[in-house]
Amino acid sequence: MAEEHAPQQPAPVAASSVPAAPSGPPAGAPSGPSGPSGPPRFGGPGGPRPQGGRPGGPAKRGKRNFVRKKKVCRFCVDKADFIDYKRAEILAPFIQERGKILPRRMTGTCARHQRWLTVAIKRAQNIALLPFAAEL
Amino acid sequence: MEERLYDLIFILRPDTPEPEIDKVIATIEHATTEKGAKVEKTDKWGRRRMAYRVQRLREGFYVYMVIRSSNGDVVKELERRLKVADPVMKYLTVRLDEELKRQEKLKKHRERRAARRPRKTVPGAATPAAPTGGPERATATS
Repeated sequence: MAEEHAPQQPAPVAASSVPAAPSGPPAGAPSGPSGPSGPPRFGGPGGPRPQGGRPGGPAKRGKRNFVRKKKVCRFCVDKADFIDYKRAEILAPFIQERGKILPRRMTGTCARHQRWLTVAIKRAQNIALLPFAAEL
Repeated sequence: MEERLYDLIFILRPDTPEPEIDKVIATIEHATTEKGAKVEKTDKWGRRRMAYRVQRLREGFYVYMVIRSSNGDVVKELERRLKVADPVMKYLTVRLDEELKRQEKLKKHRERRAARRPRKTVPGAATPAAPTGGPERATATS
């Protein structure tokens, strides 16, 4: 294990020192196979990681694409202090087609605004501005 | 007792003739003033498609009123009258003053915070973030 570990270390260092500035993606490519080939857990906390961080930069960027985009509460963006139940068109995006109120995890609404929103939606339902359930 | 603000919406049958609509509105307004309350606003939204069928009808004539009152009995009386009135299909009264009060409060709070913010947080948050990234990169490459 130790022998395996040792040769790995110099490789990324060399890779990073030589092409670091001019070409990022090629540097990332060689470092990529070296990581998964051995046990990456050992290589990770050791020396190569911080130095290989730059070649790893582009790879990280790739990873970031998988990270879910953070949803922002629409009412916070608008700085809404009050959600009007009379305006069905602003409430409509927050209900499902079947008429259910969408959960926070779907819409990204913050807790406070979701609280107000549910009240507003329920009021709108009572006066037939929004459906309780889909018809037919 | 403090004054309260109510929203009152009611839906009339879509086939109600215009004079009848005015008559219903007039009786409601009359009942409000009689009870010592004030009608702040009366708004005919007109015929609108309802989200679901009420009394087998898909459309209704919406009327929206804002009432200010210091007496809760007004609402009781109005709802009784709306229940009795034939062309009225649906009605809803919502007490709004507390929410409006909260809105005012939050608005004030935000304005105060906005006035304070530019001095405090902006220089602190913006400046250190950029330099820290720079030096690290510089030392590592050299």
